[in-house]
Amino acid sequence: MAALSQLKMNYMPGTASLIEDIDKKHLVLLRDGRTLIGFLRSIDQFANLVLHQTVERIHVGKKYGDIPRGIFVVRGENVVLLGEIDLEKESDTPLQQVSIEEILEEQRVEQQTKLENEKIKVQALKDRGLSIPRADTLDEY
Amino acid sequence: MTCLEGPHSNQGPDKSCGPMAPEEELVSSSQLEEEEEENEEEEEDLDPDLAPDLEEGVDEEEEDLGDPAILSAVTNTQRGLPSSPGIKASGALGMSPASLHFLWQTLDYLSPVPFRPTHPSTSSPVRHFGPRLLPPDPYVFCSPPTSWSPRFSHLTQLHPQHQRILQLQQHSRTPRSPAKKPWSRQSDAYANLMTRKEKDWVIKVQMVQLQSEKPCLDDYYYQNYYQKLEKKEADQELLGQRSKVESLKLVTPYIQKAEAYESVVRFEGSLGQVAMSTCFSPRRAIDAVPHGTPEPEIGAASSQRLRVLSWIEKMFLQLLEIEEGKKNGPPQSCYSEQQRNQVEKLFQALKTQEQSNLEETADGFLQVLSVRKGKALVARLLPFLPRDLAVSLLLAVIHHLPLLVKRDAADQVLQMLFKPLGKYISHLTFHELLQGLQGLMLLPPGSSERPVTVVLQNQFGISLLYALLSHGAKLVSLDPSLEEPSSDHTAWTDIVILIAWEIAQMPTASLAEPLTFPSNLLPLFCRHVDKQLVQQLEATMQLAWIY
Repeated sequence: MAALSQLKMNYMPGTASLIEDIDKKHLVLLRDGRTLIGFLRSIDQFANLVLHQTVERIHVGKKYGDIPRGIFVVRGENVVLLGEIDLEKESDTPLQQVSIEEILEEQRVEQQTKLENEKIKVQALKDRGLSIPRADTLDEY
Repeated sequence: MTCLEGPHSNQGPDKSCGPMAPEEELVSSSQLEEEEEENEEEEEDLDPDLAPDLEEGVDEEEEDLGDPAILSAVTNTQRGLPSSPGIKASGALGMSPASLHFLWQTLDYLSPVPFRPTHPSTSSPVRHFGPRLLPPDPYVFCSPPTSWSPRFSHLTQLHPQHQRILQLQQHSRTPRSPAKKPWSRQSDAYANLMTRKEKDWVIKVQMVQLQSEKPCLDDYYYQNYYQKLEKKEADQELLGQRSKVESLKLVTPYIQKAEAYESVVRFEGSLGQVAMSTCFSPRRAIDAVPHGTPEPEIGAASSQRLRVLSWIEKMFLQLLEIEEGKKNGPPQSCYSEQQRNQVEKLFQALKTQEQSNLEETADGFLQVLSVRKGKALVARLLPFLPRDLAVSLLLAVIHHLPLLVKRDAADQVLQMLFKPLGKYISHLTFHELLQGLQGLMLLPPGSSERPVTVVLQNQFGISLLYALLSHGAKLVSLDPSLEEPSSDHTAWTDIVILIAWEIAQMPTASLAEPLTFPSNLLPLFCRHVDKQLVQQLEATMQLAWIY
């Protein structure tokens, strides 16, 4: 009953564990910026995750699109954070779901505008004699 | 490979290889722990997948489980999540806690059944090899407790908003509970892909990483925090807050390490090593042992300071051992032979610092005292020292008082030495006292200022000085022979007059406030010093000593 779930035990009191999150729906944010939503089926000591019925969700502005991906095995070190999704509240969102094609198109457009803005900025700085080095072109010493 | 693999091998081919593989290596690490006969008995008990086995086991052991409906609901919807067979095993076998530490006796994940040791003959007092259990109370099932505590331990600190949300969730869910199952809308066909054994294994791996033989040292902060928490709860309970809230404690298992093995094999006459791989380490690199390289000469002063600091650290470790021995051993003031030896050794270490010259010996001691940690070390060591050694330390401190005061200007922590040293002042003989004080009165060559002026400006210095004077006055009053005119007596009166004069000379602002003000000081000054000076003194000292 309800009380049973209330008495849910933590094996290692005072620590965080993913054991209680098993078989629940989670949102996982990865280091490369992807957002995955799926049922957490298995973990290990490195917090590698096995996600089931995973969906990759792309957000652009107020719209989002889901790409079904199936089963994911995520290496623990690539996870930024993850959190449980309340199944009852899941649909209670101001965001608007659109089709995959549309969201990919939106994403492309967003990326393009970002690049253009970046180019304008760099040009403006260059005109003033300043240059901000881009992180991927930095020399590593 | 006797231990836990027993049950698996008996299962036959249907048992998947998956869970076995990770368990194998752990088993061999534990085989030193396990005793064979216990394992035989556990075979049936530990297997989580035999639901029928569990049902009967649960009925036997868990007498307080009120509602059989709950049990069937649990077992039917959560196959493979048995209600704590391990607990049953422990109750039935009454195993020693050490072996329990290793065996997987963790609780059920989603539907824990409360455990109460029902058979006095079989159960040892409930040992906490894992989390401690909340005391069983069937009525808890029906209504949420009035003071709702978070689902986790006392250490789970949630944001207040988060806590409120969870609380609302709990309360909103309770009325609905009889109607529908709370944990799944439709039966999740893929649930429990990760079996209980696998979950236990992950937990075990994490626990193994936490194991330590001396948790009081390795996990000092948590252990102390938990002791304080327990004490607070015990006090609360005594005061009448009857609800016995037991907070869970994380108990790290103690698992004996596997035998060390030689991973690198050398053959006679060969030029290299052959790496032998086992299941513990598939490959081990050739040993890269750093040989002690001679330290580069940094600079005499800094290296000296570093040496002093590292010396203090070593002595501190010894001191901690002594304190630990005192704490754990019988609570009496007489120390065991071993403890006394330890204390002696530490004292010698403090004094000598591997220096041969007597001059340098005192210097070494001074250097230790110049460091804040050194002062703390001496302050904590003093209670353990026998009287004569403590007195010698005290005399050394008095002798070098001006220097210590000067060096303490930055830290201002000499005060911590006052209480321990103060205890031994009363053990000083008159002669020793005189000698010490005379040293402070001597005018050093090339300076018009006596060392005592510096001392008077420091709180520790002035407190120590007052304490010494008070002791001297007491000795004089107790021993009439000292009243007779003798070199000692004149020396004493000279000192008193000089100190009185110095105090009067000093502007009130720079006179430090003493930690204690002995009552026989003013009368002492009255006896030896003229009235005018006494009045001046009174004014100065009263102003300086703000009460």
